[in-house]
Amino acid sequence: MKIDRRCFLSFGLGVTAGTLFSPLPWKLMDDASIWTQNWSWTPVPEPGEVSEVNTVCTLCPGGCGIRVRKVGKRAVKIEGLSDYPVNHGSICPRGFSGLQYLYGPTRIKSPMKRVGPRGSGKFKKISWDEALATVKDKLQDLRTKDMPHTLACIAGSDRGTVSYLIDRFLTAYGSPNYIRDASSRDADELALYLTQGQDGSMGFDFENTNFILSFGAGLMEGWGAPGRMLNLVGSNVDKTVVQIEPRLSDSAARADKWLAARPGTEGTLALGMGHVIVREGLYNRDFIDNFSFGFEDWSDEAGNTRQGYKALVLNHYAPSHVADITGISAVEIESVARAFAGAAKAVAISGRGQGRASDGVDECLAVLCLNALKGNINRPGGIRAVAEPDYLTWPEMNVDLTASKGRQQPRIDGAGTGAYPNTRYLINRLPAAINSAKGDSPVQALFVTDANPLYTMNDPEAAKKAFSRIPFIVNFSSVMDETAMYSDILLPDHFFLEKTRDVPSPPGVPVPVIGLAKPAVEPLYDTRHLGDTIITLAKSFGGFVETAFPWEDYGTFLEQTLADVWSDLDENGFWIDEKAAPKPWLEAFNTGSRKYEFYPAALANSDGHGYHPKVLEGAASLPGGEKDYPLVLIPYDSIRLSCGILAPSPFMMKIIDDTVLVKNNGLVEINPETAARFGLSEGSGVVLKTPAGRARVRVHLFSGIMPGVVALPHGLGHRAPDKYTNGKGININALINDVSDPVSGMNMAWGIRATLEKV
Amino acid sequence: MTENNQHKKVRRYGMVIDLDKCTGCGACMVACYSENNVPFRTDETKKLDSLNWLRVFKVSNNKSFPDVDICHIPMPCMQCDGMHGHGHAPCVSVCPAVATDYDHETGIVSQIYTRCFGCRYCMAACPYHARTFNWWDPVWPADMKKSLNPSVSVRMRGVVEKCSFCFHRYQQAKEKAFVEERMQVEETEYQTACAEACPVKAITFGDLNNPDHKVHSLKKDKNAFRLLESLHTNPKVYYLTKRDWVRRQCDNIDSHTDIKE
Amino acid sequence: MTTSAIPSGVKRCSTAQFMLWITAIGAVLLWGVYAMGLIWWKGLNQTNMNDAYGFALWIWADLAVIALGGGAFFSGFLVYIIGKKELKNIINYAVVLGFICYSSALLILAIDIGQPLRGWFIFWHANVHSMLTEVAFCLSCYFLVLTIEYIPLILENPKIDRVPFLHHLGHNMHGIMAVFAAVGVFLSFFHQGSLGGVAGVLYGRPFAYRSGLLIWPWTFFLFTWSAAAVGPCFTILVTWLTEKITRKKLVKDSVYQLLAKISGWMLLTYIIAKIIDTWYWAAHTAPQFGFHLMDFYSNNPVYGIWILIAEILVCGVLPALVLITKKGRENGFLLISAAILAVIGICINRWVMVLQVMAVPLFPFHKWYMYSPSWQEVATTILPVAYGIILLSISYRYLPVFPQEKELNPV
Repeated sequence: MKIDRRCFLSFGLGVTAGTLFSPLPWKLMDDASIWTQNWSWTPVPEPGEVSEVNTVCTLCPGGCGIRVRKVGKRAVKIEGLSDYPVNHGSICPRGFSGLQYLYGPTRIKSPMKRVGPRGSGKFKKISWDEALATVKDKLQDLRTKDMPHTLACIAGSDRGTVSYLIDRFLTAYGSPNYIRDASSRDADELALYLTQGQDGSMGFDFENTNFILSFGAGLMEGWGAPGRMLNLVGSNVDKTVVQIEPRLSDSAARADKWLAARPGTEGTLALGMGHVIVREGLYNRDFIDNFSFGFEDWSDEAGNTRQGYKALVLNHYAPSHVADITGISAVEIESVARAFAGAAKAVAISGRGQGRASDGVDECLAVLCLNALKGNINRPGGIRAVAEPDYLTWPEMNVDLTASKGRQQPRIDGAGTGAYPNTRYLINRLPAAINSAKGDSPVQALFVTDANPLYTMNDPEAAKKAFSRIPFIVNFSSVMDETAMYSDILLPDHFFLEKTRDVPSPPGVPVPVIGLAKPAVEPLYDTRHLGDTIITLAKSFGGFVETAFPWEDYGTFLEQTLADVWSDLDENGFWIDEKAAPKPWLEAFNTGSRKYEFYPAALANSDGHGYHPKVLEGAASLPGGEKDYPLVLIPYDSIRLSCGILAPSPFMMKIIDDTVLVKNNGLVEINPETAARFGLSEGSGVVLKTPAGRARVRVHLFSGIMPGVVALPHGLGHRAPDKYTNGKGININALINDVSDPVSGMNMAWGIRATLEKV
Repeated sequence: MTENNQHKKVRRYGMVIDLDKCTGCGACMVACYSENNVPFRTDETKKLDSLNWLRVFKVSNNKSFPDVDICHIPMPCMQCDGMHGHGHAPCVSVCPAVATDYDHETGIVSQIYTRCFGCRYCMAACPYHARTFNWWDPVWPADMKKSLNPSVSVRMRGVVEKCSFCFHRYQQAKEKAFVEERMQVEETEYQTACAEACPVKAITFGDLNNPDHKVHSLKKDKNAFRLLESLHTNPKVYYLTKRDWVRRQCDNIDSHTDIKE
Repeated sequence: MTTSAIPSGVKRCSTAQFMLWITAIGAVLLWGVYAMGLIWWKGLNQTNMNDAYGFALWIWADLAVIALGGGAFFSGFLVYIIGKKELKNIINYAVVLGFICYSSALLILAIDIGQPLRGWFIFWHANVHSMLTEVAFCLSCYFLVLTIEYIPLILENPKIDRVPFLHHLGHNMHGIMAVFAAVGVFLSFFHQGSLGGVAGVLYGRPFAYRSGLLIWPWTFFLFTWSAAAVGPCFTILVTWLTEKITRKKLVKDSVYQLLAKISGWMLLTYIIAKIIDTWYWAAHTAPQFGFHLMDFYSNNPVYGIWILIAEILVCGVLPALVLITKKGRENGFLLISAAILAVIGICINRWVMVLQVMAVPLFPFHKWYMYSPSWQEVATTILPVAYGIILLSISYRYLPVFPQEKELNPV
């Protein structure tokens, strides 16, 4: 049959018509749409039985109670645990995004051995046996050479059973170099020790106070236990809050009064308020007359007359003078001082932002003395020294000669020796100690746990240089961070929500609350509980090191060590130390005078009148000339950013404003007035220069920042293989130089001189 | 008679947000993302293409240092009752495919992601920018898929999504009440993720029609108001503030008239 | 014997020249197709639209081409309903233009939606309250009508006409064309209006919102009216351009004059209505929603009051006055200038009713939302233009589009 064109055309038309009238096109259309509703790359969450696990958040030292909702074996949601005594159900954005850390892409999934150069991030997967053997061999080698003291450990905390286990290991092994990461606790603890002779952390009874005078502590920015502080705002109790800081932070915005004092002058302001309270006789006479020392002038052992607090503030801190330094008017200083003194219950607090960095001791003392004037120490609504609860039962341990000799070596960071006899840890001095050493590094092996010094320290380049001189670095981090990248052996700990551990009492809480973190999910990867790692490692040494660790594993250890407390902890998820009720003033102070010391006797040998007025005078105390650096750069904290060792989660990166970060550009806050002086407008690209370094940033005009001051947030500018945070914004720590506190040797840098140059 | 009873049972779920309490911490947003499987991208700094069911805006009184003040305004979907209060929310009447609808039982404006074909007319209609579009395929890297909540379906590229007042929680509460042979869903049984999450308890959620619910009286507070009230959208999200400048930032009529300080 | 594909009695350029022309335009078309592919493959993230700018360049292009394609229905109305036989000489071209405009609009819609494979839900799950549903139904139906109107013209191609079945089909279709034209007119009145309604019903957007009659906001009527007024101007403009390009007179001046005159009066009445609408909106509707007129025209880099003046006075009143004046429309330069202005005017109107609506901030603390299209959006918007030019070229070359061509250009 011949197919002509006509036939073909008719056939074509017929087929078209036939198809159109058949169900085929309609079915295809329907199928196509059903396909779009079930794209294989759009995940469908698997259903399962719903359950809940109550535990404690350990993403920051805050230790808030959380409730983990599970579906099958998966954790799907974190919420606040309402009957937890710290936070009563409130938690912060980081806590809510906790599962992104747990399931996130930065987890270290097995033990690893570095194969590329330090910092390159090139690692090889190894077995636990191999990893532990490598560590053991190296450490055994140091012991054989009688150098156990060259092992150091940088840890995020010195509390809780895991910290104690590590410390016990160092003791048995022979090293005095347990170094706690810096935080505002450092100055607080020292101030408590100096004035009250107490070992312990500072507790603030915000729950029962009527007046909070914050000299910069970011009470709404994630200070202390963030859930606790937020919960207080929601509890509808009338409190007057006065916030002192040079920037309109969220805390300042929520406060009843915002006093924008020049940065670094908070201590002077506190002394000025002290002047008003003393001059007008508004202080607690009972406390001052009977339970304090050094308020009036006094004579030291050599018979020299020393100036007391009263004379100090009356002679040197008149409001008019303080006004010149702080920028707060004399009238304002007087009115706030009177309000503080006149409140039924009032508390003053020092510190900056979240308190994840250390502060100056002078400033801390100046603020603490306001509390003493108010007589609120160990009183409801006031402050108190919270001693570490005595809840652990330890078996005796013996050490061998090597260990004992090693323990007697001076600490590498210089804490507790020579110039800084009262300081316990000086992580900030570690890089210099290593970099300035002739010959081999004084640190031959380093443990790092729960710390990320290569991100959090000022001048990270110096820290990196020091790290490069340490031949052997072992990191127990669960996530790949800046410091893990620089380590040789990674022994990943189980992470948040994967393990059982006791959680030490959170900073700022006035009653010791020990929490129990329980696993909400099975460990996801080939990780091991740090407690178990330490026990296994210790056992491999044999001898006294082994016998110091008689427990089979961490679980057994925990139950045995916690002894009486264990059942409470296990049942309730927390344990409150009822014995820790604040002592009456008569028994409260362990100082030489058995009183609260306005002039710490421990400082009696230092010159002057106890305070270092220069360090309290703000920018005037900063190095770098005003001509080259006309501005002052300060860091600020935001509860939407995590400022500590962990980078912000993807959800936290999602909630930060576009006035903080735009694409990868960090934005520096600048007052419109200052911007006009520099010829800058919103979004202008600039180079931010400080004596410590330089960074390219963009400008964000914000009327809430003091003219002449510029601010960058903590928590950005990470450099680790996490595509959600890597290279986004600026790590402000790198732009600020260490400033050594004259009393403690700790880093007290609150800012740095800076300038902006147009690009 | 039946109709009358029926009428009484009508719930109008709504929210009262105390702006003087809000600290702007953003916990509500994160709790919402986590509850509702809201995806995230490596760059979330372009706020106008960032998927959000709830956003917290930071507004200023525009004064200079140090008289400047700021206020945070959390904005979920306003669940508008519409111009004449019968559920003709600005978005509902415009959706060509009934992918968004007003539920007369709860007053909640729904969104059916598998029905939506992404014309974005509803986004153009919504004055609150409560609706966001899936410009990209959602991606949960590593093991993050494990944190997805099976009660809320994951949205695919090319559709609009928005706050549902955690409607799945209402359904769960209703099922529970049904099993326990109760007619009423208690106030505490149905709370949105953000209200539950707010660490300063600035968000109160409940049935605006039910005198036993806290929102019923809160919405009548003299400091209560709604956003862009002059548009006649009749939102079911109320706000509280004692600060006049904040109110002036929330409605154009107010911004044109001087409120006596 | 082979029949030439080119209609008898007319002269066309060489095949080579024609192919060169088609290739040039085809390159542009391919660029657009590439962008379209990108958008379908990767999604709407290829655009510069965002959550504040859900409607942007494409929706404007849609509204604009449909308004300009209005020449088809209004000419149809004039020819078949009113009986202006004179206009038969231009109606073919108007129909082809209409067909291009409407198919382009459908194509753009298919690109614009986030889930093109679910596009048919608009019919299946139709929400009768939505102006967009009304648009979709009328648009598709009218596109069908235009196709039916276009088919007889295609069937007049000498090669196709040789097939007896098709010849008869064409003949019969001509016979009933008036019915389709009437249906088309009815549909067009509706969907042109519905497109106006799309913006006009947005009571959350006081810049767009208008009060109205029954369920239809005033923009409903204004859109229909303006399309009827300016559509013919666009037909005039394109025909004139075709004449310039082919260097031939294709339509008698009297036809131009008649169409221009009708268009002029339509435009004048439209612009008067538009002025009244603008005044009422500025003085009553917007203030009720908390906005003053100047709120919509200040504090931003683009949208000043100039745009209102340009749309209403320069591109509305001015061309209307030219077109209603005999002297004006008899002057070739003035006639074409007026047509261009009118076309610009309606494009501004559609732009404003889409993009400015999105740009206006509603909260005092919001800034204006500014938008500029991505190259993918521009390419896909130019794509229909290229396609239109190609289809026009082919139609002109192979179909007896202009009945007066033979008479005006004896071979």
